[in-house]
Amino acid sequence: MRSFLPAVAEQLFKDIQKIYEEKSQIPDDLLIALKFVFGSCAVQALDLVDKHSVTCLSSPSGRKAFQVTGGSGRLYTCFTSCHYCPCPAFAYAVLRRNDGLLCKHLLGVYLSQAMGLTQQESVSDMYISTLLAGGAAAS
Amino acid sequence: MVDVLTHVFSTFIAKGGQVSHVRGGLSSPCSALVVGDRSMSRSVLLLAALTAVSRRGMKVLFFTRTQIQTLPPSVQSCLPNLSPDSLKMIKFCYPQTLEELLLQVASLHEPVNTSPTAPSLVIVDRLQNFLCGPGGGGGFHQGEQSCAAHLSALLLDTAAFLTQVLECRAPGLAPCRLLASFQLELEAGPADPGHPHPVLAVLDRYFPARCTLDRDESYAAAAAGLEEVWRVDLSGAGPTDPTDRTSQEWQLVVFTNGLMEFRSV
Ligand SMILES: [Zn+2]
Repeated sequence: MRSFLPAVAEQLFKDIQKIYEEKSQIPDDLLIALKFVFGSCAVQALDLVDKHSVTCLSSPSGRKAFQVTGGSGRLYTCFTSCHYCPCPAFAYAVLRRNDGLLCKHLLGVYLSQAMGLTQQESVSDMYISTLLAGGAAAS
Repeated sequence: MVDVLTHVFSTFIAKGGQVSHVRGGLSSPCSALVVGDRSMSRSVLLLAALTAVSRRGMKVLFFTRTQIQTLPPSVQSCLPNLSPDSLKMIKFCYPQTLEELLLQVASLHEPVNTSPTAPSLVIVDRLQNFLCGPGGGGGFHQGEQSCAAHLSALLLDTAAFLTQVLECRAPGLAPCRLLASFQLELEAGPADPGHPHPVLAVLDRYFPARCTLDRDESYAAAAAGLEEVWRVDLSGAGPTDPTDRTSQEWQLVVFTNGLMEFRSV
Protein backbone atom coordinates (compact mmCIF):
# COMPACT_ATOMS: atom_id res chain seq x y z
CA MET A 1 0.00 0.00 0.00
CA ARG A 2 1.08 3.55 -0.60
CA SER A 3 2.80 4.80 2.45
CA PHE A 4 0.50 7.01 4.48
CA LEU A 5 2.07 5.59 7.60
CA PRO A 6 4.69 7.12 9.84
CA ALA A 7 8.14 5.60 9.50
CA VAL A 8 7.86 3.90 12.89
CA ALA A 9 4.87 1.87 11.69
CA GLU A 10 6.62 0.96 8.42
CA GLN A 11 9.65 -0.24 10.37
CA LEU A 12 7.45 -2.22 12.73
CA PHE A 13 5.85 -4.14 9.84
CA LYS A 14 9.32 -4.83 8.38
CA ASP A 15 10.56 -6.16 11.72
CA ILE A 16 7.48 -8.33 12.15
CA GLN A 17 7.94 -9.75 8.65
CA LYS A 18 11.59 -10.59 9.30
CA ILE A 19 11.07 -12.17 12.70
CA TYR A 20 7.89 -14.02 11.76
CA GLU A 21 9.70 -15.60 8.80
CA GLU A 22 12.32 -17.00 11.17
CA LYS A 23 10.32 -17.87 14.25
CA SER A 24 6.67 -18.03 13.13
CA GLN A 25 5.69 -15.90 16.09
CA ILE A 26 5.81 -12.29 17.18
CA PRO A 27 7.98 -11.66 20.27
CA ASP A 28 6.59 -9.68 23.19
CA ASP A 29 8.64 -6.54 22.58
CA LEU A 30 7.18 -6.20 19.08
CA LEU A 31 3.67 -6.84 20.40
CA ILE A 32 4.13 -4.07 22.92
CA ALA A 33 5.41 -1.73 20.20
CA LEU A 34 2.43 -2.64 18.00
CA LYS A 35 -0.02 -1.80 20.81
CA PHE A 36 1.87 1.39 21.50
CA VAL A 37 1.53 2.60 17.89
CA PHE A 38 -1.96 1.28 17.07
CA GLY A 39 -3.72 1.09 20.42
CA SER A 40 -6.48 -1.41 21.05
CA CYS A 41 -6.72 -2.03 17.29
CA ALA A 42 -3.56 -4.14 17.46
CA VAL A 43 -5.05 -7.02 19.44
CA GLN A 44 -8.22 -7.08 17.33
CA ALA A 45 -6.18 -7.02 14.11
CA LEU A 46 -3.97 -9.90 15.29
CA ASP A 47 -7.13 -11.82 16.09
CA LEU A 48 -8.32 -11.29 12.49
CA VAL A 49 -4.96 -12.54 11.20
CA ASP A 50 -5.13 -15.60 13.48
CA LYS A 51 -8.50 -16.48 12.00
CA HIS A 52 -7.12 -16.10 8.45
CA SER A 53 -9.69 -13.37 7.83
CA VAL A 54 -7.72 -11.49 5.15
CA THR A 55 -8.05 -12.55 1.52
CA CYS A 56 -6.42 -10.99 -1.52
CA LEU A 57 -8.82 -11.20 -4.45
CA SER A 58 -7.49 -10.96 -7.98
CA SER A 59 -9.27 -10.96 -11.32
CA PRO A 60 -8.08 -11.85 -14.86
CA SER A 61 -7.48 -8.15 -15.64
CA GLY A 62 -4.83 -8.12 -12.91
CA ARG A 63 -6.89 -5.96 -10.58
CA LYS A 64 -6.53 -6.80 -6.89
CA ALA A 65 -8.39 -5.94 -3.69
CA PHE A 66 -8.31 -7.11 -0.09
CA GLN A 67 -11.35 -8.56 1.57
CA VAL A 68 -11.46 -8.78 5.36
CA THR A 69 -14.04 -10.89 7.19
CA GLY A 70 -15.06 -8.99 10.32
CA GLY A 71 -15.87 -10.60 13.66
CA SER A 72 -19.57 -10.70 12.81
CA GLY A 73 -18.89 -12.30 9.43
CA ARG A 74 -19.41 -9.07 7.51
CA LEU A 75 -17.05 -8.57 4.56
CA TYR A 76 -15.04 -5.36 4.19
CA THR A 77 -13.40 -4.54 0.86
CA CYS A 78 -10.15 -2.56 1.11
CA PHE A 79 -7.92 -1.20 -1.64
CA THR A 80 -4.38 -2.38 -2.24
CA SER A 81 -2.85 1.04 -2.91
CA CYS A 82 -4.47 3.39 -0.41
CA HIS A 83 -6.26 3.38 2.91
CA TYR A 84 -10.01 2.99 2.92
CA CYS A 85 -12.34 0.71 4.83
CA PRO A 86 -16.14 0.92 4.77
CA CYS A 87 -16.39 0.16 8.52
CA PRO A 88 -17.77 2.71 11.04
CA ALA A 89 -14.47 2.87 12.97
CA PHE A 90 -12.62 4.09 9.88
CA ALA A 91 -15.29 6.76 9.23
CA TYR A 92 -15.31 7.92 12.83
CA ALA A 93 -11.81 7.52 14.27
CA VAL A 94 -9.69 7.94 11.13
CA LEU A 95 -11.69 10.33 8.92
CA ARG A 96 -13.74 12.37 11.36
CA ARG A 97 -11.68 12.58 14.54
CA ASN A 98 -8.34 12.01 12.88
CA ASP A 99 -7.14 10.19 15.99
CA GLY A 100 -6.31 6.79 14.56
CA LEU A 101 -4.05 5.69 11.74
CA LEU A 102 -5.95 2.60 10.71
CA CYS A 103 -8.99 0.55 11.63
CA LYS A 104 -8.50 -3.05 12.74
CA HIS A 105 -9.31 -4.33 9.24
CA LEU A 106 -6.61 -2.28 7.51
CA LEU A 107 -4.11 -3.10 10.23
CA GLY A 108 -5.12 -6.74 9.78
CA VAL A 109 -4.24 -6.44 6.08
CA TYR A 110 -0.77 -5.03 6.88
CA LEU A 111 -0.07 -7.70 9.50
CA SER A 112 -1.39 -10.54 7.42
CA GLN A 113 0.81 -9.41 4.51
CA ALA A 114 3.84 -9.10 6.80
CA MET A 115 3.23 -12.55 8.26
CA GLY A 116 2.47 -14.16 4.91
CA LEU A 117 -0.94 -15.31 6.08
CA THR A 118 -3.10 -13.68 3.39
CA GLN A 119 -5.43 -16.08 1.58
CA GLN A 120 -5.50 -15.86 -2.22
CA GLU A 121 -8.64 -16.10 -4.31
CA SER A 122 -9.41 -15.62 -8.02
CA VAL A 123 -12.63 -13.90 -9.00
CA SER A 124 -14.10 -12.51 -12.24
CA ASP A 125 -13.46 -8.97 -13.48
CA MET A 126 -17.09 -8.00 -12.97
CA TYR A 127 -17.15 -9.43 -9.47
CA ILE A 128 -14.20 -7.33 -8.40
CA SER A 129 -15.70 -4.22 -10.07
CA THR A 130 -18.86 -4.60 -8.02
CA LEU A 131 -16.88 -5.05 -4.82
CA LEU A 132 -14.66 -2.03 -5.48
CA ALA A 133 -17.74 0.08 -6.15
CA GLY A 134 -18.98 -0.83 -2.68
CA GLY A 135 -21.66 -3.26 -3.74
CA ALA A 136 -22.12 -6.66 -2.20
CA ALA A 137 -21.32 -9.01 -5.06
CA ALA A 138 -23.35 -12.19 -4.96
CA SER A 139 -21.04 -15.09 -4.28
CA MET B 1 -1.88 15.17 -13.02
CA VAL B 2 0.23 18.02 -11.88
CA ASP B 3 2.52 17.61 -14.85
CA VAL B 4 -0.36 18.13 -17.28
CA LEU B 5 -1.68 21.08 -15.25
CA THR B 6 1.79 22.61 -15.11
CA HIS B 7 2.01 22.08 -18.84
CA VAL B 8 -1.36 23.75 -19.32
CA PHE B 9 -0.40 26.79 -17.34
CA SER B 10 3.07 27.14 -18.77
CA THR B 11 1.87 26.60 -22.33
CA PHE B 12 -0.79 29.26 -22.13
CA ILE B 13 1.18 31.88 -20.30
CA ALA B 14 0.71 35.09 -22.22
CA LYS B 15 2.43 35.01 -25.57
CA GLY B 16 5.18 37.58 -25.54
CA GLY B 17 5.08 37.53 -21.78
CA GLN B 18 8.50 37.68 -20.26
CA VAL B 19 8.51 34.52 -18.18
CA SER B 20 7.54 31.12 -19.37
CA HIS B 21 9.85 28.90 -17.42
CA VAL B 22 8.29 26.82 -14.73
CA ARG B 23 10.00 26.96 -11.40
CA GLY B 24 11.42 23.60 -10.56
CA GLY B 25 11.08 21.79 -7.31
CA LEU B 26 7.47 20.74 -7.61
CA SER B 27 7.51 17.01 -7.33
CA SER B 28 5.20 15.39 -9.78
CA PRO B 29 2.40 13.56 -8.06
CA CYS B 30 -0.04 12.33 -10.65
CA SER B 31 -3.27 13.35 -8.98
CA ALA B 32 -4.61 16.79 -8.25
CA LEU B 33 -7.77 18.33 -6.89
CA VAL B 34 -8.97 21.59 -8.42
CA VAL B 35 -10.80 23.73 -5.88
CA GLY B 36 -12.61 26.93 -6.77
CA ASP B 37 -15.35 28.48 -8.83
CA ARG B 38 -17.35 25.86 -10.68
CA SER B 39 -17.35 27.26 -14.22
CA MET B 40 -13.71 28.28 -14.03
CA SER B 41 -12.77 24.85 -12.66
CA ARG B 42 -14.56 23.16 -15.52
CA SER B 43 -12.68 25.33 -18.03
CA VAL B 44 -9.39 24.31 -16.43
CA LEU B 45 -10.42 20.62 -16.55
CA LEU B 46 -11.44 20.88 -20.21
CA LEU B 47 -8.23 22.68 -21.05
CA ALA B 48 -6.19 19.97 -19.31
CA ALA B 49 -8.16 17.28 -21.18
CA LEU B 50 -7.70 18.94 -24.56
CA THR B 51 -4.02 19.64 -23.91
CA ALA B 52 -3.49 16.00 -22.96
CA VAL B 53 -5.10 14.66 -26.14
CA SER B 54 -3.88 17.22 -28.63
CA ARG B 55 -0.30 17.63 -27.48
CA ARG B 56 0.42 14.30 -25.93
CA GLY B 57 -1.90 11.86 -27.71
CA MET B 58 -3.37 10.59 -24.48
CA LYS B 59 -6.72 8.89 -24.08
CA VAL B 60 -8.87 10.86 -21.65
CA LEU B 61 -11.99 9.94 -19.68
CA PHE B 62 -14.15 12.81 -18.50
CA PHE B 63 -16.84 12.06 -15.88
CA THR B 64 -19.45 14.74 -15.31
CA ARG B 65 -23.08 14.74 -14.27
CA THR B 66 -24.15 17.52 -16.61
CA GLN B 67 -23.75 17.25 -20.37
CA ILE B 68 -21.16 19.56 -21.93
CA GLN B 69 -22.82 20.89 -25.09
CA THR B 70 -20.20 23.34 -26.27
CA LEU B 71 -16.68 24.25 -25.34
CA PRO B 72 -16.51 27.50 -23.38
CA PRO B 73 -15.25 30.29 -25.72
CA SER B 74 -12.36 30.92 -23.35
CA VAL B 75 -11.16 27.33 -23.78
CA GLN B 76 -11.50 27.57 -27.56
CA SER B 77 -9.50 30.78 -27.54
CA CYS B 78 -6.63 28.97 -25.85
CA LEU B 79 -6.57 26.23 -28.47
CA PRO B 80 -7.33 27.91 -31.80
CA ASN B 81 -5.99 25.00 -33.86
CA LEU B 82 -7.94 22.30 -32.11
CA SER B 83 -8.87 19.45 -34.42
CA PRO B 84 -12.16 17.59 -34.15
CA ASP B 85 -10.12 14.38 -33.91
CA SER B 86 -8.72 15.56 -30.60
CA LEU B 87 -12.21 15.87 -29.20
CA LYS B 88 -12.93 12.28 -30.16
CA MET B 89 -10.05 11.15 -27.95
CA ILE B 90 -11.99 12.38 -24.93
CA LYS B 91 -14.65 9.96 -23.78
CA PHE B 92 -17.37 11.76 -21.85
CA CYS B 93 -19.31 9.71 -19.29
CA TYR B 94 -22.42 11.00 -17.56
CA PRO B 95 -23.09 9.14 -14.31
CA GLN B 96 -26.08 10.62 -12.47
CA THR B 97 -25.48 9.31 -8.98
CA LEU B 98 -22.53 8.46 -6.76
CA GLU B 99 -23.35 4.75 -7.15
CA GLU B 100 -23.20 5.04 -10.95
CA LEU B 101 -19.92 6.96 -10.79
CA LEU B 102 -18.38 4.40 -8.41
CA LEU B 103 -19.41 1.50 -10.63
CA GLN B 104 -18.14 3.17 -13.82
CA VAL B 105 -14.77 3.97 -12.22
CA ALA B 106 -14.56 0.51 -10.63
CA SER B 107 -15.05 -1.07 -14.10
CA LEU B 108 -12.17 0.79 -15.76
CA HIS B 109 -9.82 -2.19 -15.24
CA GLU B 110 -12.02 -4.41 -17.43
CA PRO B 111 -10.52 -5.22 -20.86
CA VAL B 112 -13.26 -3.33 -22.70
CA ASN B 113 -11.94 -0.13 -21.10
CA THR B 114 -8.21 -0.82 -21.39
CA SER B 115 -7.94 -1.96 -25.00
CA PRO B 116 -6.55 -0.92 -27.33
CA THR B 117 -5.14 1.63 -24.87
CA ALA B 118 -5.85 2.44 -21.28
CA PRO B 119 -6.71 6.04 -20.42
CA SER B 120 -3.80 8.26 -19.36
CA LEU B 121 -6.01 10.85 -17.76
CA VAL B 122 -9.17 10.39 -15.70
CA ILE B 123 -11.13 13.54 -14.91
CA VAL B 124 -14.10 13.94 -12.57
CA ASP B 125 -15.92 17.25 -12.84
CA ARG B 126 -17.71 18.69 -9.78
CA LEU B 127 -17.27 16.03 -7.12
CA GLN B 128 -19.71 17.96 -4.92
CA ASN B 129 -22.54 16.92 -7.28
CA PHE B 130 -21.91 13.33 -6.25
CA LEU B 131 -20.76 13.77 -2.67
CA CYS B 132 -22.84 16.53 -1.12
CA GLY B 133 -26.52 15.86 -0.59
CA PRO B 134 -29.12 17.48 -2.88
CA GLY B 135 -28.99 21.21 -2.46
CA GLY B 136 -25.54 20.97 -0.88
CA GLY B 137 -24.55 23.40 1.83
CA GLY B 138 -25.92 22.81 5.28
CA GLY B 139 -27.06 19.20 5.28
CA PHE B 140 -23.76 17.58 6.14
CA HIS B 141 -23.87 14.11 7.57
CA GLN B 142 -21.08 11.77 8.52
CA GLY B 143 -21.80 9.48 5.59
CA GLU B 144 -20.54 12.14 3.20
CA GLN B 145 -17.01 11.86 4.58
CA SER B 146 -17.01 8.11 4.17
CA CYS B 147 -18.38 8.42 0.61
CA ALA B 148 -15.72 11.02 -0.22
CA ALA B 149 -13.02 8.67 1.12
CA HIS B 150 -14.41 5.71 -0.83
CA LEU B 151 -14.59 7.64 -4.11
CA SER B 152 -11.10 9.18 -3.64
CA ALA B 153 -9.53 5.85 -2.73
CA LEU B 154 -11.22 4.12 -5.67
CA LEU B 155 -10.03 6.83 -8.09
CA LEU B 156 -6.44 6.67 -6.81
CA ASP B 157 -6.39 2.87 -6.75
CA THR B 158 -7.78 2.80 -10.30
CA ALA B 159 -5.18 5.30 -11.51
CA ALA B 160 -2.46 3.17 -9.90
CA PHE B 161 -3.78 0.07 -11.67
CA LEU B 162 -4.08 1.84 -15.05
CA THR B 163 -0.52 3.13 -14.59
CA GLN B 164 0.70 -0.48 -14.36
CA VAL B 165 -1.25 -1.37 -17.51
CA LEU B 166 0.21 1.60 -19.39
CA GLU B 167 3.76 0.90 -18.20
CA CYS B 168 3.39 -2.60 -19.65
CA ARG B 169 1.71 -1.77 -22.92
CA ALA B 170 2.44 1.88 -23.73
CA PRO B 171 5.18 3.22 -21.46
CA GLY B 172 5.21 6.56 -23.27
CA LEU B 173 1.65 7.23 -22.11
CA ALA B 174 2.23 6.28 -18.46
CA PRO B 175 1.45 7.16 -15.75
CA CYS B 176 -2.32 7.45 -15.57
CA ARG B 177 -3.14 10.87 -14.14
CA LEU B 178 -6.16 11.86 -12.09
CA LEU B 179 -7.80 15.25 -11.95
CA ALA B 180 -10.99 16.12 -10.05
CA SER B 181 -12.70 19.34 -9.14
CA PHE B 182 -14.58 20.29 -6.01
CA GLN B 183 -16.42 23.51 -5.21
CA LEU B 184 -17.86 24.58 -1.90
CA GLU B 185 -21.50 25.53 -2.15
CA LEU B 186 -22.12 29.22 -1.54
CA GLU B 187 -24.31 28.57 1.50
CA ALA B 188 -21.31 27.01 3.21
CA GLY B 189 -20.01 30.53 3.77
CA PRO B 190 -16.43 31.73 3.63
CA ALA B 191 -13.69 29.21 4.24
CA ASP B 192 -12.59 28.97 7.85
CA PRO B 193 -9.01 27.71 8.06
CA GLY B 194 -9.63 26.29 11.54
CA HIS B 195 -12.61 24.26 10.39
CA PRO B 196 -12.15 23.08 6.83
CA HIS B 197 -15.20 21.73 5.03
CA PRO B 198 -15.53 18.10 6.20
CA VAL B 199 -15.69 16.69 2.68
CA LEU B 200 -12.81 18.85 1.44
CA ALA B 201 -10.72 17.75 4.44
CA VAL B 202 -11.18 14.12 3.36
CA LEU B 203 -10.39 14.88 -0.31
CA ASP B 204 -7.20 16.68 0.76
CA ARG B 205 -6.19 13.58 2.70
CA TYR B 206 -6.20 11.53 -0.51
CA PHE B 207 -5.22 13.91 -3.32
CA PRO B 208 -1.49 14.65 -3.11
CA ALA B 209 -1.76 18.01 -4.87
CA ARG B 210 -4.26 20.81 -4.97
CA CYS B 211 -4.87 23.58 -7.49
CA THR B 212 -6.79 26.43 -5.88
CA LEU B 213 -8.57 29.07 -7.97
CA ASP B 214 -9.26 32.31 -6.11
CA ARG B 215 -11.02 35.29 -7.62
CA ASP B 216 -8.85 38.37 -7.22
CA GLU B 217 -11.30 41.08 -6.16
CA SER B 218 -8.63 43.67 -5.53
CA TYR B 219 -9.00 47.23 -6.70
CA ALA B 220 -6.04 46.83 -9.05
CA ALA B 221 -7.73 43.97 -10.84
CA ALA B 222 -10.96 45.89 -11.22
CA ALA B 223 -9.16 49.06 -12.26
CA ALA B 224 -7.35 47.23 -15.02
CA GLY B 225 -10.72 46.92 -16.74
CA LEU B 226 -10.39 43.17 -16.85
CA GLU B 227 -13.48 41.13 -16.44
CA GLU B 228 -12.01 38.58 -14.07
CA VAL B 229 -8.66 37.92 -12.51
CA TRP B 230 -7.98 34.61 -10.78
CA ARG B 231 -5.09 33.47 -8.67
CA VAL B 232 -4.10 29.93 -9.55
CA ASP B 233 -2.11 28.23 -6.81
CA LEU B 234 -0.76 24.77 -7.40
CA SER B 235 0.59 23.07 -4.32
CA GLY B 236 1.58 19.52 -3.71
CA ALA B 237 3.11 17.33 -1.10
CA GLY B 238 6.19 15.42 -2.03
CA PRO B 239 5.41 11.74 -2.54
CA THR B 240 7.65 10.67 0.31
CA ASP B 241 7.80 13.66 2.60
CA PRO B 242 4.53 15.45 3.38
CA THR B 243 6.42 18.37 4.93
CA ASP B 244 8.05 19.04 1.60
CA ARG B 245 5.16 21.11 0.30
CA THR B 246 5.94 23.22 -2.69
CA SER B 247 3.76 25.57 -4.59
CA GLN B 248 3.60 27.47 -7.83
CA GLU B 249 1.41 30.41 -8.65
CA TRP B 250 -0.14 31.73 -11.84
CA GLN B 251 -2.60 34.43 -12.69
CA LEU B 252 -5.52 33.68 -14.95
CA VAL B 253 -7.13 36.65 -16.68
CA VAL B 254 -10.49 36.41 -18.40
CA PHE B 255 -11.15 39.44 -20.59
CA THR B 256 -14.55 40.98 -21.23
CA ASN B 257 -14.61 39.33 -24.67
CA GLY B 258 -14.18 35.88 -23.10
CA LEU B 259 -10.52 35.44 -24.00
CA MET B 260 -8.44 33.75 -21.34
CA GLU B 261 -4.79 34.29 -20.59
CA PHE B 262 -2.40 32.69 -18.09
CA ARG B 263 0.41 34.75 -16.64
CA SER B 264 3.16 33.54 -14.40
CA VAL B 265 3.46 35.40 -11.14
ZN1 LIG C 1 -12.32 -1.25 8.95
